[in-house]
Amino acid sequence: MTAIFKREFLSYFRSPVGYVAIALFSFLSGFVFYTQFATGVVDIAGEVISLRSFFFVIVPIITMGLLSEDKKRGTDVLYYTTPINLFNVIIGKVLAAFCLYVIMFINVIIHIIVTVNCGGVVGVGAIGTIIVFFFMAFMFISIGLFASAITDNQIISAIVSFVLILITQILGTIGDYLGSAFTSMFSGINTKIAGTVGSAISSAINWLDPFVKTQDFRLGIFSVSSLVFLVSVGILFLYLTFRVLDKKRWSQA
Amino acid sequence: MIEINNLVKRYGDKNAVKGISFTVNDGEVLGFLGPNGAGKTTTMNIITGYLSSTSGTVKVNGHDILEEPELAKKEIGYLPENPPLYNDMTVKEYLSFICDLKGVEKERRKNMLDNIVAMVKISDVYNRLIGNLSKGYKQRVGIAQALIGNPSILILDEPTVGLDPNQIIEIRRLIKTLSKNHSIVISSHILSEIQEIADRVVIINHGKIAAVDTISDLSKRLSGQSKILLTFRGPIKDAVTKLRTVKGIAAAVSRVADSRYSQVELTIAANDTTETRIAVFELMAREGWPILEMRSLDPSLEEVFLSITSGKGGVKS
Repeated sequence: MTAIFKREFLSYFRSPVGYVAIALFSFLSGFVFYTQFATGVVDIAGEVISLRSFFFVIVPIITMGLLSEDKKRGTDVLYYTTPINLFNVIIGKVLAAFCLYVIMFINVIIHIIVTVNCGGVVGVGAIGTIIVFFFMAFMFISIGLFASAITDNQIISAIVSFVLILITQILGTIGDYLGSAFTSMFSGINTKIAGTVGSAISSAINWLDPFVKTQDFRLGIFSVSSLVFLVSVGILFLYLTFRVLDKKRWSQA
Repeated sequence: MIEINNLVKRYGDKNAVKGISFTVNDGEVLGFLGPNGAGKTTTMNIITGYLSSTSGTVKVNGHDILEEPELAKKEIGYLPENPPLYNDMTVKEYLSFICDLKGVEKERRKNMLDNIVAMVKISDVYNRLIGNLSKGYKQRVGIAQALIGNPSILILDEPTVGLDPNQIIEIRRLIKTLSKNHSIVISSHILSEIQEIADRVVIINHGKIAAVDTISDLSKRLSGQSKILLTFRGPIKDAVTKLRTVKGIAAAVSRVADSRYSQVELTIAANDTTETRIAVFELMAREGWPILEMRSLDPSLEEVFLSITSGKGGVKS
């Protein structure tokens, strides 16, 4: 595991990928912080929440090559023919991407230091959103890793993870739309039932929305259940990744 | 020692490997021969654990590759057809990464790497990026990778493909050195290459074993009929009829005839192993047809299959 972690983490800095991701994150966070700073009211929680909406750009960049490149180069042979097991390979790769996120996040730490030095306040809400930010990063990295496992083409992998993450960001809208569509479609048959089912559909889809689920953290409410949700989805995708890699060996197609 | 028992690999409705069984003994070099698409790589991938078989078992020094994969994989060093190299790493970084993967202890590492680097002669490029190395050096780094962890068995999939003649000779020499301390399975679709390196040969075709034989028996089997390629200037029909009258020649077939230069290329098959070249030369000299080229032809892989499958024993293990 440490071997894979070390290799993947260092490989971010052997290619432009790591630098591009860090530069992009620095620019985005710097821009958000600057606009707040200019008004004289700095809200670190607000900054972190704005940064969450850029997962769909940054995560695909850092996860697209994690497994797809191995397939293309033929280096995946090493994972199957050396005594290391696939589970460790996956954990090592996730950790590498996660650590890159931690490094990117140094930007925000600097902003916090500046804020505090200028007499600003960093409250419990900010700490809560930062914690949630990392749980979300884990979840989205798992999704990105899965997208990287299903293809040997980095571009396809990036597009798949881009779309998957984007869908989670507009899940609320999708839920509302589907719910009301259902209601209006079947209200001719039975208005009451159509309305109930329609709102059930939208609230079921809304329940999956990780962004809505974690908005309470900003108010300083620490809801363990939503963290459990993020970790579960992350682990689910890691498991799927494992299955995809393991299937290759058994595949008879 | 590797025991391979009734290996089958199915892809869709096509069987890539159809019930292969053979044994690799300790300390021997086993040549694994077959045309492209015969199932060589698939079989090697199954032995190393990269693929799983549809049915059948592989035991490496007594450990089943599926039931005790970690123990079995420790015994094997694998060089796939495309060496698994990271172009963005230096040779040094790469080899120490492989040490990590194979779980080589820190104390043993330096000694082991020094030995391997000296053996495969990559000390000149030790600190260079793999992406900038020539194909021959990349192949050596691939072999170095397979040697890490002191496996008792090396599996090399077409290690000389795509190399220039000098590099081929060097890699063969290296494999001969390695054969002193390792059992080696080496695949190839070139007969002469296997003849040079291996002690024993397994020939497969269409996913089945066509023959298991020692090199000396194989050569005996193949020497049933010698063939000559002859290029000369002269009338083709006349030459063919006159050649047939020469003692020991069974057939003369024209391959290419260029009427503009009245240049003719013939393959001449002898009845047996008798030397017919002298007689051919004398005939040509008598008739005044200048010989442009004359050489004996090595049997092609297809002819090997033909001679093996048409009677004369067949599978022998």
